[in-house]
Order: sequence, then C-alpha cells, then structure tokens
Amino acid sequence: MRSVSDFVRWLGPAQYVLDAVALTVVLIALLLVFILYRRARRARYLKMRDRRTLDVRRQWHGILDGRVPPELWRFDPLSREIVETILADRLEVAGQDEAEALRHMVRSTGLLDARIHEARALRGWRRRQALVALGRMRAPEAVPALAEALDDGNEETRLAALRGLGRAAIPAAAEPILERLLHDPGFVRRVPARPLLNALLACSRPRPQTLLPYVRAASDKLRPLLARVLGEVATADLDDDLLLLASDPLAEVRASAARALAEAKPRLALLALSSLAYDAEWFVRLRAVVALGELREPRAIPVLIETLCDPNRYVRLRSAAALARLEGRLEEITAQVLETRDRYALQALVSELERSGDVERLVEALADPKRRATAEAALLGALRAGTQRMLLDALARHPQSRVRKAVARLLARSKDPRLKAPVERLAASARTPRERRLARWLLAQLRDPRAPQPEPRPAGVAA
Amino acid sequence: MLVFLELSNNTLFVYYLISNLVYLGLLITSIVSSAQHQRRLASIRLEGLKTSPFVPSISLLVPAHNEEACIADSVRSLLALDYPEFEVIVVNDGSRDRTLEVLQSEFQLRETDILYVPEAPCRPVRGVYMSATEPRLLVVDKESGGSKADATNAALNAASSQYVCVLDADAILEPDALIRIMAPMFGGQRVVAAGGIVRAINGCRVTDGRMAEARLPRGRLETMQVVEYLRAFLIGREGWAYFNLLLIISGAFGVFERNLLRQIGGYRPKAIGEDIDLVVRLHRHLREQEEDYRISFVPDPVCWTEVPPDLRSLASQRARWQKGIMDVLWKNRDMVFNPRYGRIGMIALPYHWVWEMLAPVIELVGYSTIIAAALLGVLNRDFFVLFLLFGYAFATLISIGGVLQEEITYRRYQNWRDVARLVGYCFLEHFPYRQMHLWWRLKGMWQYLRGDFHWQPLRRAGFQKT
Repeated sequence: MRSVSDFVRWLGPAQYVLDAVALTVVLIALLLVFILYRRARRARYLKMRDRRTLDVRRQWHGILDGRVPPELWRFDPLSREIVETILADRLEVAGQDEAEALRHMVRSTGLLDARIHEARALRGWRRRQALVALGRMRAPEAVPALAEALDDGNEETRLAALRGLGRAAIPAAAEPILERLLHDPGFVRRVPARPLLNALLACSRPRPQTLLPYVRAASDKLRPLLARVLGEVATADLDDDLLLLASDPLAEVRASAARALAEAKPRLALLALSSLAYDAEWFVRLRAVVALGELREPRAIPVLIETLCDPNRYVRLRSAAALARLEGRLEEITAQVLETRDRYALQALVSELERSGDVERLVEALADPKRRATAEAALLGALRAGTQRMLLDALARHPQSRVRKAVARLLARSKDPRLKAPVERLAASARTPRERRLARWLLAQLRDPRAPQPEPRPAGVAA
Repeated sequence: MLVFLELSNNTLFVYYLISNLVYLGLLITSIVSSAQHQRRLASIRLEGLKTSPFVPSISLLVPAHNEEACIADSVRSLLALDYPEFEVIVVNDGSRDRTLEVLQSEFQLRETDILYVPEAPCRPVRGVYMSATEPRLLVVDKESGGSKADATNAALNAASSQYVCVLDADAILEPDALIRIMAPMFGGQRVVAAGGIVRAINGCRVTDGRMAEARLPRGRLETMQVVEYLRAFLIGREGWAYFNLLLIISGAFGVFERNLLRQIGGYRPKAIGEDIDLVVRLHRHLREQEEDYRISFVPDPVCWTEVPPDLRSLASQRARWQKGIMDVLWKNRDMVFNPRYGRIGMIALPYHWVWEMLAPVIELVGYSTIIAAALLGVLNRDFFVLFLLFGYAFATLISIGGVLQEEITYRRYQNWRDVARLVGYCFLEHFPYRQMHLWWRLKGMWQYLRGDFHWQPLRRAGFQKT
C-alpha cells in the first residue's frame, strides 16, 4: 500500500490533474454553498425590504413634509433607495401640485444634490445608474449634469444620459439634445436613434413648441427626425406651422405633418389632409387617411371613399377603418362604395364593418321601413363581399321574426348558390316549425330555376 | 501501435483540456454578460417602450404543420402579447389535418388578394386569408414544402414589419417577451438579430395559453434536458454572443431584420438545421458587405416549448441537430480560417468544426484508444481514473454554473425542491445520458453521410393546461 505522498511523487506531472480535480471539487462545493446562501439571503432581503417599504409608506406624509427628519432614512442605503423609488414613481403620475411638493422634498432633503454629485463624480455603471435616477427626479437643476454626460467618451454613459433626460420629461431637458443635434454634426452618430427619439418625445410633450425653431433650422437629414417627434406631440396650437410642414419637399416630413394634423382644428386640417391623401408616396397617403379617420369629419367621406380604392392595401384598410368610425352614415357610405364597383374597396369596408359590429346594425335597420331600402342595398353588397355567415346567424337567431323574414328575403334575392348548403343545414336543425318553414321557403327560392340569375360581381382592380 | 496510442491519448488530453478551458471562459463571460444586461435593463423603462410610437413593428412568423390541436390557442396567446405594433402570420404548410379549418372558424378568415411577392423561395401559395375579427392576423395557406424553412419563407414574403420574429406553432411566449427581446435594438450598435432563451414547458402549468407556474418536469429525461438547455443558453449562447460569435439563434424564438433576411433570400429551403444555417449566412453576408453589426442573445425573454418526452423522439431530434450542424459547416467550409470573415471565420467556425461537429468521433476514438490501451496493458490506470474524475467533476461544475446563472438572474424555478433536483441532475447526466447522446449524434453523422435527410415529426405529450 502506497502512502499519499508516495502516490503524488509517483504521479509526477500528472499530479496537476489531481490538483485540478481537487480544485474543481472545491469549486463545486463553493457554487452549491453560494446557491444555498444566496437563496436564503435573498429571501431574508426581500422580507426586510417589504417590511421597510411598508414603514416608509406609513410615514410617507411625514417624510414629504419634513416631520420625519431626512437623517433617519437618507444615510441608510436601503431606506434611501425605497424613498427614491417611491418618489420617482409618484413623480411620473403626479399632478402639478403634488409634483411641486415632491420636487421641493427632493431639493430640501439633499437627494437631488447627492444624485447630481454622483452623476458627476462616479464612474462606470454606478454613474449610469445615478444619471437615470437623476433624470427621474424631473428637476431642471439636473439638466446640466445630464447634459455633460451626453459628451462622455463612453457609449453606455451617453445612452444613460439620454435616457435620464428622457425620464426627466421636461422641456428644459430637450434643449441640450436639440442644441447638439443642430450644432454638433457628430452627435447623431454618437447616440442611437431610437432612444434619442424617445427622449425627445418625452421632453417635448409638455411643450411641443420647443421643437419648432429646431425643425425649421434643421438640415434635410435631420428634419425628418425632428418632424417625426413633432408629429407625435403636436397640439391644436400648432396649426399654421403644421401647414408649412405639410408642403415640405421631404415625404417623411409630410407624413409627420399628416400625423400631427390629426390634432389640429378640423376646418384647417381637413383641407391639408385631403390634399395629402393623394400624395405620390403611399406612406404619406396612409398617414393622411389615418388622421382623417381621427378627425371623424363627415366632410371627409368623398376623399376616404376615393382612398378606399387606393392601389395600396394598407391605405385601403385604413380608409375602411376611418369610414367605419363615422357613425350614422353607414348606409350612405356603403351605397357610395357600391357605386365605385371596386371589389377590393367593398371587401375592405365589409371586413371593417363586421369587425366593428356595424353589419349587425344594418340587419336591425331591415325592420325599419324608412331605412330598409338602403340597408338592403348595403347588405347585398356585403353579401357579395362574403359576409354570409353573419346574415345566416341573423336568420337563425335574431329575436325579431320581422328581421328574420327580411333577412330571408334578402338572401333569396341574392340567389347566391353558396348559401344552399348552410340553409339546408339550418332547415334540418330548426327548432320550431316556423323557423323550418322560413328556411325551406328560402331554400326553394335559392333552388328555383325560373328565378333570375345572381347579379354579376363588380369588376375588381389590381391589388 | 503503442506510439499511435500515446499520440492519440495525448491529443485527446489536449482536446479535452481546451474544451474545458473554453467552457470555463464561457461560464465566467456569461456571468459578467448577464450582470451587464441586468444593469442595462434597469435604465430602460420597459413600460414606457410599450407605449412608444418609435418601437419598431414586428411580424410574428408561425409555421404550422398539422397543428389543429393547439393552433387556435397559440394564435390567441400570441395576439395577447404586450407589444405596441405587431402582426401574426400563420402559414398552414400543407397540413393534412384541420389546421386551416380551425383557423377559419375561430378567426372568421376570408380569402384576400393582397400583393404577395415570393422573394424568398417556397412552395406555391394556395391562398392568403385575413381575419374579419382580428386585423393583426394573416394566414397563408401553401403546399407542403416538407421543411420549416420553406414555410417560414412563405410567411417572410407576406411580412410587412421592420422585424420578423420566427416562432414554433406550439411555443408559448411570456407576455413581455417581445419587448424584452427588442431591448438590444435600442442600444448603440446595429443589432440585426437577437435570440431569446428557450425553456422546457414540460411539467409547467399553463392557463389560457399563458405560463401560470414554472415547474420542473417529472420525467428524468425531460429534467436532464432542462439542465442541458440552461447550460446551452445561459452559458453557451450568452458567452458566445458577448464576443459577437453567436452562430445559432433558436428556430423556436428569434428576431431578425426583415429586409436583411429578404436580401439573403430567406431560409435555405433544403437546410436541415435552418436556424444555424440562417445565422451563418447572415454572418457571411454582413462580413462580405463589411457591415458593423451584432447578433445578440437576450437571456430574459422566455419562450416555453415542449422538449421530447421519450428516448425515440429525443434520439431523432439530436440526430437531426447533428445533421444540421454538419450540413451548415460543410456548406460554409470556405469561411474557415478565412480572414475575410473575421472572428467568425477564425474562431467560431473552427471551434464548431472541432468541438461540435467532430466531437462524437473524437469521443468515440477516445473510448476506443482507452480500451485498446487497457487491453495492451499500457494504460496508466491511476492517471486514467484521475483524468476521468476530473472530466466528471469539471462537466458537473459547468452544469452547476448553468443552474447558478439561473439562480442569480432569472429564477424561473421558485421551488426549493426544483432547484435541488436541478443540481442533482447536474451530477447524474454524465452516465448513461452522455453516452446515449454520443450514439444519437453518431447516428446523425452516419445518416448525413448516407444522404438520409428525412425529417420525422417529434412526438408531443402536450402540456398541462388548467
């Protein structure tokens, strides 16, 4: 029997393998202990944090008005983190008065100064964390420290500064970004586009006018980007400026103007949008049609019916959606669409009507002698575009027998051979003799060879 | 003979040493990488992104072949995802069951004449349907192409968003998975593709198409796969992606730039491992264009999918994976050690040739030479036992590393007992599972060399619904 030392000597260079085995076993043991320790510690930490959060929430009013001295919570990292988180969360949803009170507290307790100091003095991820936390305090004093970080050499730090400015969501925070965009040609390459747009969006939302001088002064390369933000935040006060953008030579800017015009006064917007709805670029037309839909203006019907026949599918679908939003005009719209004899336009409209439940309203109108004729015309058109299922449902289940009979007459008039099979099934499964009689009558009408042939389907246009 | 045995044993020793060192490096890198990801995530307000108009739109591509049992639930669960702008494109890939009829009745489909340009190659399309009740749903009915690649190409041709997300029809995404997987696209560098983590749904509780409770599967085989998946995703993919060396994004859940995919002609319809094939072709294209790009792995958006519950299905799946990797590496052999392809050609592909594709052969040679050396009486038994012990301990360490990563970051398994079982399986997977795995991969190699590219659908046990 060899002793351990003899064995190790005998192994020679292979003893490194033995060392490696021992090291690996130790590492496994350490990993297992770490997993167990971390689980236990985390459970304890979460429990403690919940308890402390509850305490802070109970004393919140005292903390806010200074009755609870800041020294009691500021120097404890966990308590400070909890207070800061609650504060930042409240600031995001607070009204003006509450926001003022919260900002006063941020200043008076030294939280803001501490974060400004950290945003300038710390390095690495701690600095990035401080920058985002500083932004969340939504105080104008935070802007210079955040702006400084926009010029940092590290990409992650610049990104954190941008996010911090975005989280500040105050017009003052937009200015350093806009200034750099306009005067520093390299800036737009140093920061990623989407966080930049999001930051500008958040900061300029309270006062969209902040953007206007920059949009006017921007180069062709930058203008679409700023106009895109303006399109999202525009309000009715910007009417004239938006009209100028609507005639911009750049299609992207015109599309953004169309988006923004949805918020403008209808009288002014309608004219500009009607013109943009015939733009050479499909995405400008699309944005114009969406904006027209948001205006809910009956005077836009002729334009929307024309754009319903647009060669682009998305423009057609959005036009249909815009038309379906115009309440009380359904029969008139359907009749006008039928006149276009455009199969795709009709299909787009009928799909939208089914989705919005308007087909059911047309079925109801069959019982009203005054509206019956237009409702019948509209439903026949819908039937041609493939909406049999809803009408068959109405035939089988509508509570009013008058409506069921009107639907049966309508289906008989359509002479659509695809209806035979479902009507046969309906006749077989009818629960009452009256339902069975109605289904059989309809079946006889659909089978009658002397009856006139089905009306020809309107000719379609190329997709 | 003796010289050959000595040379072979020494080569194998160096091979395993490098393999272990690479894995150790990946473990350390992945821990650093996921810590950085967590910190970065803390500065992004995901809730804000969900309402941002600047979030890019996504088309979810869902190829479905004989999925009548789950397709309606899957589509409903996808439509309920938390993302501002997306569309779902389901491709009925010549199903012989009622997949299309189920979709027709559940979502009131009607045929439409939308413009469909077959830019990416695929079998003929029979019809395109839109839903009368759900504007975000589009269904493409096509002849069966016999591969997921073919069906995904049809969906890609119909996609209209900036990004496409490729999914399996039976996969369940967590509600915020899309917004999380898109997080790298909000950073500085151009991220052309990102993969999320795929986890085993076996044993979990699913309510209304959503994950209600993550639990470990009861079966040993399935639990073994959970350990494998944790190691592969949380260490392997995370580590490779850190150095921008990722060669695979799982076909069950990955996001790509749509235009880029169209530029390279979509998926290769005849590809056996369509997911790795696509990523290698993306690298090739972008390196040839001298573009600055990243292909990322994001560890927190989770896609839950069923793993094979029985040996037969698992064997078939692993043989297919082996065939897939051989197919891709062979077709792209001109990239290996070609400086034009940068680190992909100089590091990632050579590593995959030696430590992935040839691993089963080398392992087999290793077993053979050890047996031969023992028979000839030249095996240093003490050294062999020590080396075996080291191999066992090190592989266990790496697997426990995967569990550790799960524990310190994402903690999907809350139950103590589940974690204890996971750790236990880290010790057990080396015998006989590893040897079975070797056998399946060797079979895959043999099938590939024989030209047997037949694909067998996996048997699914179905997940636990409530």
